[in-house]
Amino acid sequence: MRTISRLRLGIGLACFAVAAIPLHAQNAAAAPAKDVLVKNGTLLTVTHGKIENGDICLHAGKIAGYGHDVRCAADATVIDATGKFVTPGLVDSHSHIALDDDVNEATSPVTPHMMMIDAFNYDDKAIYRILAGGVTTSLLLHGSANMIGGQAVVIKHKFGLGRDAMLFPNAPQSIKFASGENPKRVYGSRGELPSTRMGNFEVQRAALQEARDYMRDWDDYNAKAKSGDKDAKPPKRDLKLDALADVLRGKLLVQIHIYRADEFLTEMSIANEFGYKIRAFHHALEAYKVPAEIASYGAAIATFSDWWGYKYEAYDAIPWNAVLSMRKGVRVAIKSDSSDFARRLNQEAAKTIRYGGATEDEALRMITLDPAWIIGVDDRIGSIDVGKDGDIVIWNSPPLSSYALADKVLIDGEVFFDRSLPGFGLTRYKSPTAAEVQQ
Amino acid sequence: MKTLKRILAVLVLTAFAAAQKPAAKPAAATPASGPIAIVGGKLLTISHGTIENGVLVIDGGKISAVGKAGEVKVPKGALVIDARGMTVYPGLIDSENHLGLTEVSADKMTNDLIEMSDEIMPHMHVADAFHAESSLIPVTRYNGITNAVVAPDDKDTLPGQDAFIQLAGKNANEMLLIRDLALPMDFTGEQRRNESFEKAKYPQTREGMAAQLRQTFISAQEYQQKWEDYRKTEAAGDKKKEAPKRDLKLEALVPYLQGKKPVVIAAQESNDVETAVRLANEFHLKVILNRVSHSQEILDEIASWKLPVIVGPIYDEPKDDERYDAVYSLPAQLARRGVKIAFASYDSHNARNLPYAAGYAVAFGLPYDEAMKALTLNPAEIWGVADQLGSLDAGKVANVVVADGDPLDVKTDVKHVFIAGQAVPMVTKQTILRDEYSR
Repeated sequence: MRTISRLRLGIGLACFAVAAIPLHAQNAAAAPAKDVLVKNGTLLTVTHGKIENGDICLHAGKIAGYGHDVRCAADATVIDATGKFVTPGLVDSHSHIALDDDVNEATSPVTPHMMMIDAFNYDDKAIYRILAGGVTTSLLLHGSANMIGGQAVVIKHKFGLGRDAMLFPNAPQSIKFASGENPKRVYGSRGELPSTRMGNFEVQRAALQEARDYMRDWDDYNAKAKSGDKDAKPPKRDLKLDALADVLRGKLLVQIHIYRADEFLTEMSIANEFGYKIRAFHHALEAYKVPAEIASYGAAIATFSDWWGYKYEAYDAIPWNAVLSMRKGVRVAIKSDSSDFARRLNQEAAKTIRYGGATEDEALRMITLDPAWIIGVDDRIGSIDVGKDGDIVIWNSPPLSSYALADKVLIDGEVFFDRSLPGFGLTRYKSPTAAEVQQ
Repeated sequence: MKTLKRILAVLVLTAFAAAQKPAAKPAAATPASGPIAIVGGKLLTISHGTIENGVLVIDGGKISAVGKAGEVKVPKGALVIDARGMTVYPGLIDSENHLGLTEVSADKMTNDLIEMSDEIMPHMHVADAFHAESSLIPVTRYNGITNAVVAPDDKDTLPGQDAFIQLAGKNANEMLLIRDLALPMDFTGEQRRNESFEKAKYPQTREGMAAQLRQTFISAQEYQQKWEDYRKTEAAGDKKKEAPKRDLKLEALVPYLQGKKPVVIAAQESNDVETAVRLANEFHLKVILNRVSHSQEILDEIASWKLPVIVGPIYDEPKDDERYDAVYSLPAQLARRGVKIAFASYDSHNARNLPYAAGYAVAFGLPYDEAMKALTLNPAEIWGVADQLGSLDAGKVANVVVADGDPLDVKTDVKHVFIAGQAVPMVTKQTILRDEYSR
C-alpha cells in the first residue's frame, strides 16, 4: 500500500502541473449523517468468505462493522436484507461511458496529455443504468486509437449528483496505452506511421526516449539554476512530455490495451527498458498463452468473459482465459468495455465458474477487489472490510447467476438506487413521475 | 487464412481422435446407427411438462421414446448416457443470427453479411453465402443451440432471404434445412441512405423507404400478373405470345406477396412498427414481428394483431427517458399479453449466449416455462418446423441437449449435444486452444 500512497501524493502534483485540474472532488457530497444498518443478509465479503445472517453497519460513509453482533447507532436507518445477498459495490476497470463521443483524440498516436475528466459528462444515463446493475466505481479510459492515449478518470456512480461529487476522491491517475490493430489501422488508413506493429512499438519507444531527453534537459537546467547559473535557460514546457515524464517517474498507472501473446512480451520489455511499471493489460485475450510471464512480471489483466472474433487479434480468444490465467498466478478482473455489459458484470463474472471452474469467491473477486487493485484503490473499495467505503449492493438472489437483480445500491453509505422506488429508482436524481416513465 | 484452416482441420481431427479413446466419453464414441438412451435426467419436454428421473431414447436420428424411468424401455444394445443430476432439453433455436456469414468481424474478406449496393435485395439468398465450416458454428452449438435462422445484416430494407439451419452436418447442403425461409423487411431508420443533404441518396428518409417498398411490391405484383396472364394464354394453346422477361429481384418477392412465406418485419420505435405493419397489411403479407425494443407504448396494440414477435435484443439499451429495465422486461410484457414470443441473439460470435438472455428476461418477470418455450417450441411453430423440432416428443428429430444444470443460467455447463440423433463432438476452435495451453 505504501507504493500507492506515494503514487497518490505524486499524482496530485502531476495533475496540477499537467493540466491544472485538481482531481480531488471539491464539493463531494457530505457523508450521510445517519448510520445505516444492513441486517440479516448473506454477506459475500470477497476477502473472508461468506457470512450467513450477517449485518453491516455503515458509519460516516464507511464500513464500521460487519458480521454478527454488529454495533451501530441506535437511530441507524435499517435495511432488512433477510433472504438477500450483500456484496461490495462492483468495480468496472475498463469503461468509456459518459465521455460522449470524445473517447479517442485520434489525431496523433501519442496524446498522454489528454485528460478524460475534460470530456466527462456526468449527466450520461449510462451511469444510472450501470449503477442499477450494481456497479459503484468505474475507470473511464481514453480509447485505443493511440499507442499512448490520455489519462483516465475514476468515478463513483452517484447519479444525480454533480460532477465533482462523482469523482473518486484522490484516486491514483491512470494512463491508457494501446497496441496492435487499432493504432495501426487508424494511422495506417491515413498513410501515416504507425501502420504495422513495427511502427506501433517504434512510435512508443520514440515518445518515451523524447521524454527521457526532456527530463534530462530539465535536470540539467535545475542543476544549473541551483548552482546559481543566472544564464541558465529553462527548457520549453511541453504538456505531452510532462505527462510522459510522469510515466517514466512511475507516477501514472499504465493500463495497456493489448491482445496478442507476443505483444505482452514486447510491452514488458519496453517497460523494463524505460524503467516504468505496467499496472494492467486490458482485453488481454491471449493472456492464457503467456500467463507465467505476466504473473512473474506482476501485472494484472482486465479481460472479457467470452468476447471473441470481432477482429483478427481476438480470433484466438477463449472463454477459459480468465481462469487459466488466474490459476497461473495472474490477478484477473472481468471488465465491460461496454455500456451494455457493464449493466450485468455479475453475469459476466459468473461465466468463469462455468468456463474453468472458478469458485464463487474467485468470480466475485474479479469484479470487485481485483479491478479495484487495477485502479489503485483496493485499500478503499472492493471488499466488505472495516474502514472501507460504504459501497454495498443488496441482491435479490445469489449474484453470480442469470437471475440476480440489484435491489439496492449504496455508495459511501447512502442509497443511490432502489429498485422498489417508482420511476427510475433513483434517490438523488429528479426523475420524472412514475407515470411519465416507461416501466 | 488457408494455412490456419489446414492447421485447424488437423487439430480438429487430432482432437476428435483423442476424444474417441476414453470410454468415459460415450457421446463421442457413439455409433451413428445404434440407439441411444439418456437415462435418469430431468426432462424439460416443453410440450408436456417436466419429467424427473426420465428416459429419452434416440433411434435412427429421431426421438423414439420419452417418459419416466421404468415406463420407457431402454432398447437392447443401446448406448446408455447417465444423465442423473442433469437437465435434458430440446436443442435451442436462435431466431436470428449471422452464423456462416462472418468469421472475423473486422476482416472484410471474411464477411458476407449484407449487399449494400441497393436497398431492395430480395434476390440475395443467405444460403448462397452460408459457410458451413465456420469456426463459429461449433462454438455456438457447444452451448446447446442446434438450429438457427440465419439472416443478412439489417442495413437494407429488403436485405435478402433467411435460411433455417441445423448446426451440424457434413456440408452446407446438410446444414441448410430451409433455404429461402423468410424475407426480412427492416424498418428501423438504419436503412436510410445518408442523412446529410450533401451526400443524400434515395431513400434518405423513412417516407422514402416506405415509398420505395410500396413501389417495389406493386412492381412485383404487376410482374406476377404478367406471368400469370402469359401462363393462361399458354395453357389455352396460344403459342405466339412471348414470355415476359424474367426479373430475379421481382420474382423473389412473389411467394411473399402471395402470403406463402413470412415477412419478418424488424422495427423498434412504436411509429416504425406501426408504419411497417400498415404497409405490410396493404399487401396482405404474412408477418412475423421482430425487435420492437422501444415500443412499450403500443404493446396492447401489438398484442391485438395476433402476430408472433421475435424479442430483443433485450440488451438494447433503453432510451434516456426510459427506466433501466424497460427493454429487459419486454419479453415478460409481451408474454403477459398472450403474444407468442421467440428469442434471438442477433449475433454471430456471441450467439452462444442466447439462453442467458432468456434467463435475464425471467429475472424481469417472464415465467420460466415461457422462456424455455421461447427458445424451443415457439420458434419451431413460428418457423413452421414444429412437426420436427422444439420439444422432446417421440417422432421428432433428435436435437437434444444434456447439461449439468439450468439451461438458462450462465454457470451451467453443457455436457452432450445431439443433432439429428448424432452426438456432436464437444470440440471447438476454443477447446482446442484451451487444451493446448493448459498442458
